[in-house]
Amino acid sequence: MSTDLRFEEEEFQAQFNGGTLLRILSQLRPHWKWVVGFLASVGVVSITEAYFTFLVKRIIDEGITAGNWDKVLEIGTQYGLLIFIFAGAVFGFIALTGTLGQRVMYDLRRKIFDHLQNLSFSYFDRTPVGWIMSRVTSDTERIADLLTWGLLDVTWGALNIITAMFFMFTIHWQLTLIVLALIPILFAIAIWFKQKILVEFRKVRKLNSKITGTFNENITGVRVVKALVREDENLREFDLLASDMYRSAYRAAWLSALFLPVVQIISAVAIGGIIWFGGLQVEALGLTIGGVQAFISYITFMMWPVLEMARVYAEMQQAIASAERFFSLMDAKPEVVNRPDAHEAPSMAGDIEFDHVEFYYEADKPVLRDFNLTVKQGETIALVGPTGGGKSTIVNLLSRFYEPRGGVVRIGGRDYTEYTLHAIHSRLGVVLQTPHLFSGTVRENLRYGRLDANDDEIIAAAKLAGAHDFIMALEKGYDEQVGEGGVLLSVGQKQLISLARAILAKPDIFIMDEATSSVDTLTEALIQQGMEELMQRSTSFIIAHRLSTIRKADRIIVIENGQIAEIGSHRELLRQRGHYYNLYTRQFRDEMEREHDPFASQETDIAERATAQPAGD
Amino acid sequence: MATSVQLPAYNLKNAYSKRRLTGFWRMMTGFRTLYFTAIVALGLGAIMQTATFLLIRYFVDTALLQPNLAEVLPPIALGFIGLAMLQGTFSSISGRLSARTSEGVALRLRDYMFDHIQRLSFTYHDGMQTGELIQRSTSDVDAIRRFFSEQAIGIGRIILLFSINFGALMALNVKLALASVIAVPIVVIMSLFFFRRVSAAYEAYQEQDAILSTTLQENLSGVRVVKAFARQDYERNKFDGDNREKFRLGKRFMLMHSAFWPITDLITGFQMLGGYFLGAYMVLNSEITVGTFLAYAGIITWIINPMRNLGRLIVQMSTGMVSYERVMTVLKEDREPLGEGLWPEGHLHGNVEFQHVNFEYEQSDAPVLRDVTFKAKAGQVIALLGSTGSGKTTLVNLLPRFYDYTGGSITIDGVELKEYARHYLRQEIGIVEQEPFLFSRTIRENITYGVGREVSDAEVEAAAQAAAVHDVIMSFPEGYSTLVGERGVTLSGGQKQRVTVARTLLKDPRILILDDATSSVDTETEEEIREALKLLMKGRTSFVIAHRIQTVMNADLVLVLDKGRIVQRGTHRELLAQDGIYRQVYDLQSRIEDEIEKELTGVN
Repeated sequence: MSTDLRFEEEEFQAQFNGGTLLRILSQLRPHWKWVVGFLASVGVVSITEAYFTFLVKRIIDEGITAGNWDKVLEIGTQYGLLIFIFAGAVFGFIALTGTLGQRVMYDLRRKIFDHLQNLSFSYFDRTPVGWIMSRVTSDTERIADLLTWGLLDVTWGALNIITAMFFMFTIHWQLTLIVLALIPILFAIAIWFKQKILVEFRKVRKLNSKITGTFNENITGVRVVKALVREDENLREFDLLASDMYRSAYRAAWLSALFLPVVQIISAVAIGGIIWFGGLQVEALGLTIGGVQAFISYITFMMWPVLEMARVYAEMQQAIASAERFFSLMDAKPEVVNRPDAHEAPSMAGDIEFDHVEFYYEADKPVLRDFNLTVKQGETIALVGPTGGGKSTIVNLLSRFYEPRGGVVRIGGRDYTEYTLHAIHSRLGVVLQTPHLFSGTVRENLRYGRLDANDDEIIAAAKLAGAHDFIMALEKGYDEQVGEGGVLLSVGQKQLISLARAILAKPDIFIMDEATSSVDTLTEALIQQGMEELMQRSTSFIIAHRLSTIRKADRIIVIENGQIAEIGSHRELLRQRGHYYNLYTRQFRDEMEREHDPFASQETDIAERATAQPAGD
Repeated sequence: MATSVQLPAYNLKNAYSKRRLTGFWRMMTGFRTLYFTAIVALGLGAIMQTATFLLIRYFVDTALLQPNLAEVLPPIALGFIGLAMLQGTFSSISGRLSARTSEGVALRLRDYMFDHIQRLSFTYHDGMQTGELIQRSTSDVDAIRRFFSEQAIGIGRIILLFSINFGALMALNVKLALASVIAVPIVVIMSLFFFRRVSAAYEAYQEQDAILSTTLQENLSGVRVVKAFARQDYERNKFDGDNREKFRLGKRFMLMHSAFWPITDLITGFQMLGGYFLGAYMVLNSEITVGTFLAYAGIITWIINPMRNLGRLIVQMSTGMVSYERVMTVLKEDREPLGEGLWPEGHLHGNVEFQHVNFEYEQSDAPVLRDVTFKAKAGQVIALLGSTGSGKTTLVNLLPRFYDYTGGSITIDGVELKEYARHYLRQEIGIVEQEPFLFSRTIRENITYGVGREVSDAEVEAAAQAAAVHDVIMSFPEGYSTLVGERGVTLSGGQKQRVTVARTLLKDPRILILDDATSSVDTETEEEIREALKLLMKGRTSFVIAHRIQTVMNADLVLVLDKGRIVQRGTHRELLAQDGIYRQVYDLQSRIEDEIEKELTGVN
């Protein structure tokens, strides 16, 4: 949220930037025919609309005042035909502009999504998901709106003024000059008002986010608020905030309520002028009654674009700011890319070697220093050590989500940057600490491991992972929906599915970040079974938290401060009585305490109560 | 700088009505005169506008025929400007007053919602989702605001424009007037029908938008999985499917619009043309004057075109109605009467006695506490030991009257707990929660949060020092002014814990509740917190929730809870002598050490 706040402020400060504007416009290139189409229709709309007024003038002058019914019929028929053209053009511009707008949005979203798939981890690590989401959703919409409705508004407004001027000149050029003199004044007033109103609107938006934030905090912290008897003070503070918003919103509203009348009064001055001078000329200089009427209509006709102009300008500013953020995402370069001569390979089997590997996320904070490790094919490595020590970095480098800043990682004796990213990634099986599932069915989530797997293979993998039984117990079995992010399943079930997914992938390299959260004993046993399955087939790297996993590893590596503190088998390391010994005994105590908790016999009871009454304690 | 806006007082709880329009009417209490003045001003503005057209009629029919044209024209010209100025004045008055109403109603509602929510009971909050409450307090309140600022006044405007202009037309010529509104019912019905349909189409579009966002969000948050399985192409296809569907629905929505507007353009166009024909015919037959025709041509646009938007406003109004209901279901709930009850002078002593206390939550009939009886003398430490769900937290939650016990009796200093005002109790009781909650304010504000009086910097620092958090705070560049939370520094669990301790020290309560205060803290800081807590407990009746023996060893009384009952009680020493859960827990510790030894000897 904080990021969004920061960017929202920028929105209004952005000035017109020619380069960005051109780049936005270039999005229309593939659709230029559509653009011509909708601009043409809006042109027809604008011209016919002005022409209607002109026809009414002629009905008055040539028909009514001249006492000629035939003329009335003749001009009226023209008017009737024009209605069809007008309606057709209205249909044209709404259909064309609307569809094109949707189309541009679709294109932009597709482009940015494509691009996102190629970006490296480093980008996602430093950019909040919410920020990227806004670029794909709201910014694409603003850009598309600018390219369609914005462009249409500008064209329409300009044409309205031009056509109205044209007809007025045709009717009586001297009087038109009076009107012409007023246009700059109208524009100046419109700009002045809009700036004032925008300032207030910006305040309203900022205050509105603050108010939402305050609500959020007061509701999530309501128990503390109550315990500390802060209700009155909080209301007082909130009222000040809400009062500020009231003032700004009210000011914006009455400035808007003043804007329209001011413009109207100026047009009235023009109309008054025309009556004054025009009236004198009805006989002298040939201005007709119909002409007076037409002038009055045209002046109103021109007023709207002026009123609209300011709104369009404000929206354009926003859209350009949106576009700048959007393009900044489009221009972000992936850090990990295929080398020009990289090649695919069917297998990533073989020994893995970290050779003097250096790594940092920020240049002055090294994470791995001179890291050396050779792992034989099929070996299982348990990585243990404190948080932030560098365990995740090692598996991220191995997965080539990041590349070493110094040194080399070799797979099967070759520098792994000689392979394509796809070659490496498609041979990996990864199970994360917090398993991530996608909306859809259980089957779809399993198939994610290997898209061409058939149902038998999927079931076989689920069985190996020990997930089959619980899946069959679901109402629709493998076709059960897992919900957004898998919310309909328990954490343990999600872990089993992500294990089965990895088994299905038949990986050469298996990477697992063991979950720290506890699951029930049965699920725990099933997870262990699934892991063993994978550890037998593949070269495995486990960021281990459980003693049972650690004991099973061929080698244990204790990582501290980006370096190997200790390495060896369970027995060897225990004998050393060093880091591993400390870690192990502490973990041992914790697990024992949990396992043999005298209260634990009541767990099932508690679970029932917790579902019946989430408030419990 | 910031000041409060004074609004007419009204208890919004009374605004509830089954009939929603009645509800809106009540919500307007104190603003009704303003709002009706706004509508009257709107009508006067419309009259001025119509008068302009009648002035044109006078100008054409009468003025132009005068011989002394030069003398007649200036007043007419000034008349135009004058009418425009009047119209402008009225319409800006109307805008101002309706903004005052809508913003005022919204402000009053916002304040009320905010206060109401923080005064609702724990039971209510337990059953309500945060996001849902936030939405009702923000976007639903805004929908109600728009009801007043846009929809109600917009519909009023259309109706006024129609009646005033239609009235003027009737005055000009009845036949012409009647012939000019034939299309009005058609347009109104069409617009109602259309906007209902289109809003359904728009909802479908919005739903697809939500689906697309979910797909995107899952892709972004699951980027590790996507990359690890090299599934970029698969993801592209999935996104493209949803994206295409959104495009299709968006197009459908736009095409519906592209059908509605030209059709109504045709109808209104021909209605106007028909009116021109009839008018012209009548002029030629000398039934009406040229000036009347001109006035007619001007007025007619203000009758038909606004009607096309009536449907939109009515449909939007129904969303405001839904928001009203959503807000009202919150406002209907009863508040905790915080100040009601006994409010003794001075502080409590802290003698607490539970006698056969029972408790069960409203929605379920499973008792959470059963027959709990014990006595705590002022200044004693009572430890509560038990598993999750045994009722420990529930028990201490009864003391500040977060929940009211359903049976038995609790007394503090000999007075029944239910007699005390909730606010008084909460001021006298300090709580250090298991997962401390800090507010997005400065550290100083967090420490003084809830102290309820001006606190000097020296006092704040002394409290922080006592809570062993002063050095941590001073290590931040902005010291005590450092912001906590999203826009500031992130404090570790232990640091938050100690800020909470400092806060409680300043509050200086007579009764203290420590809810498993060391459980989420790593070993290094545990010792520091333990020290800080020891200091905090000094001289206060303290209830300590724990599930480790070390924490409860020094308590004056240990209560072992199981399924809401006290199954064992006594001091550490007494309990060790008994056969029971307490000794099992204690024994486990030593058994673990044995096992480790065994494991190690196996290795060697």
